[in-house]
Amino acid sequence: MKLHRLLLALLLAVAATGAKAADLQSFGRGSWSKLRAAHDGQPTVIHFWGLTCAPCLVEMPEWGKLSAERPDMRLVMIAADPVPQDPARVNDMLARAGLGKAENWAFTDRFNERLRYEVDPAWAGELPRTLLIDRDGKETVLAGVAELAEVRAWLDAQKKR
Amino acid sequence: MRALLAFAAFLLLAGPAGAQHQHQHGKPAAATPEAFTATPAFGPDGTLWLARAMADRIVVVRSTDLGKTFSEPVAVTPEPMNLDWGPDARARIVVDPKGGLVVTFAIFQDRNFNGRAFYARSKDNGASFGKPQPITADATSQRFETAAVDPSTGRVFATWLDKRNGPKARAAGKPYPGAALAYAWEDGEAGFGPTSIALDNTCECCRLGVAFAGPGRPAVVFRNIFPGSIRDHGVVTFKDEKTPGPVRRVSADEWKIEACPHHGPSLAILPDGSYHVAWFTDGSARKGLFYARADNGDTPFGAPRALSTARRQPARPYILANGTALHLVWKEFDGTKSTVRWQVSHDSGRQWSEPRTVADTEDASDHPLLVAHAGRAYLSWLTQADGYRLIPLEDQP
Repeated sequence: MKLHRLLLALLLAVAATGAKAADLQSFGRGSWSKLRAAHDGQPTVIHFWGLTCAPCLVEMPEWGKLSAERPDMRLVMIAADPVPQDPARVNDMLARAGLGKAENWAFTDRFNERLRYEVDPAWAGELPRTLLIDRDGKETVLAGVAELAEVRAWLDAQKKR
Repeated sequence: MRALLAFAAFLLLAGPAGAQHQHQHGKPAAATPEAFTATPAFGPDGTLWLARAMADRIVVVRSTDLGKTFSEPVAVTPEPMNLDWGPDARARIVVDPKGGLVVTFAIFQDRNFNGRAFYARSKDNGASFGKPQPITADATSQRFETAAVDPSTGRVFATWLDKRNGPKARAAGKPYPGAALAYAWEDGEAGFGPTSIALDNTCECCRLGVAFAGPGRPAVVFRNIFPGSIRDHGVVTFKDEKTPGPVRRVSADEWKIEACPHHGPSLAILPDGSYHVAWFTDGSARKGLFYARADNGDTPFGAPRALSTARRQPARPYILANGTALHLVWKEFDGTKSTVRWQVSHDSGRQWSEPRTVADTEDASDHPLLVAHAGRAYLSWLTQADGYRLIPLEDQP
């Protein structure tokens, strides 16, 4: 019976790990056009970050706070590490930053050049990087750590349109 | 009970194995990031040696027919190790003039990317390797270890990025950005001798480039941290085996970044004493891939020349002196394929041939590398789709 209970606990633990990773979507070839189509006509903030990018990890909780403060923000987080990372660790970081419920993606294809090219041919891979896309599809790139006041002002401007 | 046990066993077995294929069903794979590199070196007898990092182990293979066929792999790492899988890290191999082999590589010690650099030697012409030994006694962190054989003396020089001075500085209340450029020389049977620090506060996450300016005089190119967090490139040339010279800046690209670019430079020195560097930058003064030359070890570098355009993602340059010829390759992406572009110069880097594509692939690939033997230069490239290729470059002297 003791063994029985142990096994049950083990099963639950395995099941829980599976459920936690389920939220993270795989970003591979063709994902970018699907993602853009899904948000077409809606002002959207897309933030590229990486587990292997130290300034990204410092900035992440600020995005978590902004996300809580602005329910009007459609936020998409994409982990764009040049070498695909363990999804459990990606999820763990997102949860700690208060972003576990955001729309989350992670690069899972080692052909990093191709994924970056689909997003923007001129993107050399530097992180963090934020894209503000208005309802007409016009993109504003914020390279490096974003000035969140700028993001707030952009969100306000989208409401007035 | 029995059914439950079977089900539990199934789940546990399915965990890691299933995860390998999850990406096909739209879920990220749970695998540890995987090292995927092949680094070449020719032996004095024309044998091509390759150090291959494969997931959690390193092997060496050899070819006596210029890469057409390879021997069975010989293990360098006796047990699985948490290899440094960083985008600019690689296991390397050098062959000394007596045919002795030295493999260098790094592992991650923890989740904060602190590394430990190792070397392993073979004294039986690659039939076996001794147990890997740390390259230095200090255990703080070492990465991007690079060994090179002094062509004049045959002595092996090793240099790497070392974080030992960071904790000391911070304990004294001083900031310590980046890492230090450390070096050691081969010391007979004992492996590498004592470690010295050539320079503090270099960038900590990019590969190094090494060439020789003369007997006992290595030159190292690296991404430095110039005042104001500017991560541009510098060259240090040794005055003798124990005396590193001053930093000579290659280019003022003004790349101010508090992060790791993961893009290291490449260096070659011609018999006329001229220096040749290729590098990647995303600075405010220039962005993309560049090449510059200097007449000798004392003069400033000339104006950078852009290689390709930013919209083709040019990256991972490699430059090699082969006699009086200079070969330069880099990788770029055309929307479908990664291509290796090649240029050659026969006048000390002043004029170059038109860039040509010498190889391409439609999936992930290692950095393109160059290697030479008996007067001929070759592209050495590992791709996921085609495996390893050694491609002779044309237009040889």
